[in-house]
Amino acid sequence: MEHDDDDDDEHDTPAEVDAAFRTLRRVAITHFVLFLAAVMGVPALSLTLDWWSGGRLAGGMSPGFAMAAFGLYAFFLVIGLAAATLSSAVEARMLGGRNDDDDYPADGELP
Amino acid sequence: MTVTSAGTLAILLAAVALVTLVMRPRGVSTVDFYLAGQRVGVATNALAICGDYFSAASFLGVAAAVYVSGLDGVWYAVGFAAGFVPVLLFVAAPLRRFGEFSIPDFLGRRLASERVRLVAVGVVQIVILSYLVPQAVGSGITWQLLVGHGLPGLSAYATGVLLSTAVVAALVAFGGMRGTTWTQAIQFLLLLGALVWLAVAVAGSGFHYSGAVADLSAEPLANPVHDEAGWHLQPETNQLDPTEPATFGQPGAAYGPLAQFALILTLVMGTAGLPHVMNRYFTSPTGTAARMTTVWVLGLAGLFYALAVMLGTAARQQIAAAVEGHPWLEELTVDGVLRVPEHALPVLGRIYGGDSGLAVVAAGALVAVMSTIAGLLLAAAASWGHDVYERHINPRATQRQAVWAGRTSTVVAALAAGALAIAMQPEDITPGVPSIVAAMVTWSFAIAGSALTPVFVLAIWWRGTTAAGATAGMVVGGLVSVTMFVVGALPIGPGLGEMLMTPTLVAAPLAGLVTWLVSRSTTPPDDVERQWLVLHGTAADRHAERLARLTIASAEPTQRRRGRGRAARREEERDADR
Repeated sequence: MEHDDDDDDEHDTPAEVDAAFRTLRRVAITHFVLFLAAVMGVPALSLTLDWWSGGRLAGGMSPGFAMAAFGLYAFFLVIGLAAATLSSAVEARMLGGRNDDDDYPADGELP
Repeated sequence: MTVTSAGTLAILLAAVALVTLVMRPRGVSTVDFYLAGQRVGVATNALAICGDYFSAASFLGVAAAVYVSGLDGVWYAVGFAAGFVPVLLFVAAPLRRFGEFSIPDFLGRRLASERVRLVAVGVVQIVILSYLVPQAVGSGITWQLLVGHGLPGLSAYATGVLLSTAVVAALVAFGGMRGTTWTQAIQFLLLLGALVWLAVAVAGSGFHYSGAVADLSAEPLANPVHDEAGWHLQPETNQLDPTEPATFGQPGAAYGPLAQFALILTLVMGTAGLPHVMNRYFTSPTGTAARMTTVWVLGLAGLFYALAVMLGTAARQQIAAAVEGHPWLEELTVDGVLRVPEHALPVLGRIYGGDSGLAVVAAGALVAVMSTIAGLLLAAAASWGHDVYERHINPRATQRQAVWAGRTSTVVAALAAGALAIAMQPEDITPGVPSIVAAMVTWSFAIAGSALTPVFVLAIWWRGTTAAGATAGMVVGGLVSVTMFVVGALPIGPGLGEMLMTPTLVAAPLAGLVTWLVSRSTTPPDDVERQWLVLHGTAADRHAERLARLTIASAEPTQRRRGRGRAARREEERDADR
């Protein structure tokens, strides 16, 4: 798609937005399923597997307590960072036509 | 109160007041008062969101819940931290791109309906009030422990409630969102600093985290109760297997199997419907910035809650061991276990840092309360001032009148929360829940997650959402969650009551289903395709980024000229010296 002037770069077409929306929805749902599996899986394992809450890691803490006390928070950060990076990359690639912001000269003079 | 404690508190309040004074909005524009001019950077906004979000429930409540219930209390920390993942995935960027003042404003414009806006205002006010009351309760409890006496004619608890709400209401009414953003960011850093100091002090004393969990799990978990025989320890009933004793490191001390999932899901779903947190996203400059802000929040929340869980565990072990050497603990404990679990962190602070340590932790607790109250009052101001006053009561209001309407509503909301907190007696509720402050905040999460989040997410991600569907969804979600609370508060048997007190598991799917069904039989707004471009397109982001680049680029030659001027003057001065 040709973008001849600045106005084009600051408008999205309905087709572009719809395609980006569908991709972003897929990204969000995929990450949400992973997130839900982890956040519900930890208490589920505590209820169903004896070694998960009764076993002892080095020092004496159980795997289940270790996950709830700090493992899950690291997972939330990782999955959040991955989703944010991917979503922003999808938007940069699918919206705006001209994606290379570096086209703009540093002195602010528009092409 | 010692001189050290009083000095610490005075310095804290003076610092917060000074920041508010310096950062107050210079004009009377509503965009400035409610949204800080929509120019808050990623890191600053992340810190301010943390200041908003990490309330007394997070600072005092999570450690208290872990202290009382062990692993079942840790689910509070997991749920509170997890809530920002759905926010990042489904809400942050589109919400900012649509760009309104508040949740009711967003829903009202997205669905082109004033009825939706007004119903949302009602739900938002219930959420805000049910979140404000536990903050006021937390400040009352902290004042009781730190100061121990009240103003003439008032109890220590009532004095803490009144002073905290009055001070914050004044700061918010004066500072608006810009002043509040900076005070909340600084308040969060103070709060995190208090937690880190305590964790370092505990770890430095030789505390072994993993070993402590193992030691505490080796014996049945027992907590103080007060009955005809006076105070005594009573073993907790294992909700998963009543024939086995409940222990610290295993599930079952507080919740049955279904209630464990219900609690986590309630907290996960609730965050996306919290008005004071969502309003912060409108202050980001772009949707992408709002998304990255949430990543920062996830990192900070992880650090915060990991420390809170560790300190709750440390308190359970260390306070029992310290009773012999610290006689002042005797009146606060029963056989080495605290009567009021929310005292866990302040008492730990006093054990490791004396009166100064107590003051630091108590100041952290008050800061947590104040920053959250500030966010809640601003959200109340935005929905009353902007969504009701400007649109329905006085549509021709000037900017100054609208801002004053917002200021008035902060005072009214603060008064209501203070009165409710004083009317409630925390001692009467404490025996029924792991932590009164955390439990009360959970009710607020439940209403938000049941009535607002499903409608909110559908409005963002489904073109077919209609005003009638959203109204029906909010009403059903709100009514079902409140009804389940009421039934859950009745003596209906162990296990079921706790599950009903965290109703999102049932109420949110029901609200979503009703929204979908009613929307299917009604017509979406005419301009839904245009709204879709705004919600999911990035044109406005690119425009804002281009303007920012132009501003920076146009400022550079001026700075260079100024730099050259300064260099020339220095050269002339050197020549003159020679």
